[in-house]
Amino acid sequence: MSCRKKANAGALTNFEVLDFLRSRGAAKDPTRVIAPIAASEFKVYDYLVESAACNQTRESINELLEKCKKYDLAKAEILNIINIRPASPVEIDPIIEESEKRMGEGIEDLIEMVTTVLPPPPTQMNTEEEVVAGDEEIADGEQTATAMATEN
Amino acid sequence: MFYLSLIEHTLRLPPHLLDLPLNEAIKGELESLFLDKVIANLGLCISVYDIGSIDGGFVFPGDGASTYTVEFRLVMFRPFVGEIITAKLKESDANGLRLSLGFFDDIYIPIHLMPNPCHCEPNPEKKSQVIWIWDYQEQKFPIDGIDEIRFQVQSVSYPPIPVEQPKESKPFAPMVIMGSLDYDGLGPVSWW
Repeated sequence: MSCRKKANAGALTNFEVLDFLRSRGAAKDPTRVIAPIAASEFKVYDYLVESAACNQTRESINELLEKCKKYDLAKAEILNIINIRPASPVEIDPIIEESEKRMGEGIEDLIEMVTTVLPPPPTQMNTEEEVVAGDEEIADGEQTATAMATEN
Repeated sequence: MFYLSLIEHTLRLPPHLLDLPLNEAIKGELESLFLDKVIANLGLCISVYDIGSIDGGFVFPGDGASTYTVEFRLVMFRPFVGEIITAKLKESDANGLRLSLGFFDDIYIPIHLMPNPCHCEPNPEKKSQVIWIWDYQEQKFPIDGIDEIRFQVQSVSYPPIPVEQPKESKPFAPMVIMGSLDYDGLGPVSWW
């Protein structure tokens, strides 16, 4: 009855699936009855909205792909980086195999590039604000928060 | 985590859907057939992405409904080995942890893939569960249910459907993911 023509017709980042669900109206419907989306799809939407994908944009991902070319990463590694948005070397370690051997000092550059190009997910943003507000005055914390918001 | 899969399927459109435009009727049928179901070796179907082509529409003799051959793409959830995923703790017992993604619950971390060394202590709040604690450099890091846990996918298996199941056993899981926490940067997010 059914045959699979192409089991893998393309990998999708979390952002692309979230965008697809949003384009069908998942975000706009608080009652979750009117939008033409099934309950199981809403569960996927709930998961994605809490992940790093929720405030990514197509432009930021394209920018990241351009800048990643010089690091010679595998497609699976770039996919992991987009989905997880690592913010420190210890988070990059399970993503890139033999990161020290292949990249050495480049890891710091890669992380800085990722944190500047991709917006931080909501949970990371809260901890960054707390750290900054704790060290300096609250005014500076608000400034960095607005700076990140304008970057988005 | 997600892939697109191109599938061709012959489906019978029941007559009560004849008043809907063809695209919508076929999409509705496909969704009821595939959505939230596991296809062996392809993964869990999340959504119908788009419909490529609709062919046919013949009514076979003796049948009241028309049959279409549809080519369409499905968004499948199928993590690859080595992927890092953030999930929430669902249960933890003496055999290891069980994590959940909201839409998918059968993620198991067996004991030999937990960070080494670690031990478990009975949970004072829930009697049937234990808390796993990682002993690292004389410090104790418990895995509690508060924040999300990052794990690396070790394997994705599709156990065959059992013919008979004893009554008390867990409901059959058609897709099981084994994960590992045994690496730098994995485990509860707050550890790092």
